Amino acid sequence: MRMLPVLIRLAWRYLWRNHRRTIVMLSAISIGAWAMIFMTALTRGMVDQMITDGISVLPGHVQLHNPEYLDDPSITNRVSLTEAELETRYADAGFEAWASRVRVPAVITSERESRGVTLLGIDPIAERDFSFVDYDKVDGRFLESPDDSGVVIGAKLADTLDTEVGKRIVLMSQDPDNEIADRGFRVVGLFHANMETYEDTYAFIGKKTAQKMLRIGDTTTEVVFFGNDYRNVEPTYEKVAAAVDDSMRVSRWTEVDTYLGTMLSVMDGFMLIWVVVIFLALSFGLVNTLVMAVFERVREIGLMLALGMKPASILGQIIIESMMLLAVGLLIGDALAWLTVKPLESGIDISVVAKGMEMFGASSVLYPKLHMDDVILSNVVVLILGFLASLSPAWRASRYEPVEAITKV
Amino acid sequence: MAKPNMKNRLLFPLLLLVLPAFAADEERDATQIVRDAIDHWRGLTSYTVMTMVIHRPDWERSMTMEAWTKGDKRSLVRVMEPKKDRGNGTLTDENSMWTFSPKINRVIKVPSSMMGQSWMGSDFSNKDIARVDDIIDQYDHTVLSTRVEDDITIYEIESIPHEDAAVVWGREVLSIRSDHVVLEHAFYDQDGELVKTLKSLEIGEMGGRTIAQRQRMIKMEEPDEWTEISVDEVEYELELKDSVFTLSNLRNPRD
Repeated sequence: MRMLPVLIRLAWRYLWRNHRRTIVMLSAISIGAWAMIFMTALTRGMVDQMITDGISVLPGHVQLHNPEYLDDPSITNRVSLTEAELETRYADAGFEAWASRVRVPAVITSERESRGVTLLGIDPIAERDFSFVDYDKVDGRFLESPDDSGVVIGAKLADTLDTEVGKRIVLMSQDPDNEIADRGFRVVGLFHANMETYEDTYAFIGKKTAQKMLRIGDTTTEVVFFGNDYRNVEPTYEKVAAAVDDSMRVSRWTEVDTYLGTMLSVMDGFMLIWVVVIFLALSFGLVNTLVMAVFERVREIGLMLALGMKPASILGQIIIESMMLLAVGLLIGDALAWLTVKPLESGIDISVVAKGMEMFGASSVLYPKLHMDDVILSNVVVLILGFLASLSPAWRASRYEPVEAITKV
Repeated sequence: MAKPNMKNRLLFPLLLLVLPAFAADEERDATQIVRDAIDHWRGLTSYTVMTMVIHRPDWERSMTMEAWTKGDKRSLVRVMEPKKDRGNGTLTDENSMWTFSPKINRVIKVPSSMMGQSWMGSDFSNKDIARVDDIIDQYDHTVLSTRVEDDITIYEIESIPHEDAAVVWGREVLSIRSDHVVLEHAFYDQDGELVKTLKSLEIGEMGGRTIAQRQRMIKMEEPDEWTEISVDEVEYELELKDSVFTLSNLRNPRD
């Protein structure tokens, strides 16, 4: 251990003795590290966006349904609790937000077109905070109360239907007895969403109006609850589940939208694989550099051994050299990544490929996200794997016979 | 001089009373005219054999069908010709609609999502067939004008759907003769543009009534596409059992 400061000095000097090679290697490592972190930041950002967008449409970290509803989202499978009962159970439970809503498939018809939509009967006041629609950015106005008699549809849908604010459209669905339930609505507002699909699929009406039209009294089809963090929904889940019996199904959002839920858990595994793949490519360069450095110095190493340096110290020196190389490379790479991600955090416009992105539920503006965890993970993985990769050349160097090594031509 | 004065003083409030009543009367009149026209066309009960021609720029086909109606809500239509469609039927009761096709031997309740779709490939929608009398109770009717042609008064009636009516049209204009024959039924969009119109092309005496024998539905945007319905045979106010309008009769015709 006494040798350590000496070894470090020797290693550091050696690195800069052949500075050209070191610089080439450093740039390889830093570009590799930069690529790992930058790409993860991009994917992280994309997945985060997908999930927040997805949850905002779902919405609700925890949802309460009729057990049948998720398989068959029809009006017959309603939440059997009335508004008043829900109120007594959940009003004081301390959720960030919660609301009950009516969500049924419906057909929307204008003079010229008709389309299938998801009809959402909502209480606009209760949903203001978590709705994916920004009430203030609606053309016209958003719904004002649960018994508002207007409808708010997406700008894209209005385009397809050839209708506009102020015109009437007809919404058609069915009531619990499978009878047709339909009604005319005046379009009071057009909302914009960052994904066209949303603008195409949702029609908002007042909850009370929906209940009247569908003849379902004051029952609803889903109750949604929000905690503070979508990654940790257990506390909310437990609170909701505690207040109902088995006749209702309480589900976390990962169960409601399994695609998104899986995305979230796949993401962490994907990160690790990505880091390892990049490192594998890097490691060839690293091992090559170290092997070269050892070969070049056979006589020098032999001399040091002959002078009485222990093989363990030789091993240590080579490993320290590689660790230094990696550490400096990583530092530069991290700095580069930080410098490139930061200015992009306000969003990268990739609307050129918006259609493709939308197919798997991502929007056309990418917000890269630098997670500390990801940075630490990639650095640690690189250091550990780098250590393992440098073991072999270091081992070889420490096993030289001094006499043979010195006389080697 | 006191007497006429007295009279005037009485007359004026009376006029005030009468005027609104008169206006209301006119509105009821318009509704009544529409209702009478529908009742006239359909009778309390009716049996019709009709031919429907569906015309498209590159093809045309015709179907012969027989239809029974009873009251406001119930009707049964069954295809007779062509042979490959024989037995296809549609039953409506209240606001629901069922179809039957012998080929698949199934009765299908037409879901709300399909009510807007075309009925048997024609320019009529399922809703047009199932909910004929929506025109009476989901609209406000006013008489726009009356004119006399060939000694028959023709009322032009504007029908504006109620705010929450399940109707997409901005307004509809019906031309109805005083003998309850509908000459034209025009559908305008909310910009006031004519979208489609149902015109009576031939009017004649049948089944003891004067009715439109040939009617054509034209879409203004595609004038080459139309559907024509002509009445071949009609009988009114006949005995029809309730069992005619049942799912089992839709499936297994009993003659």
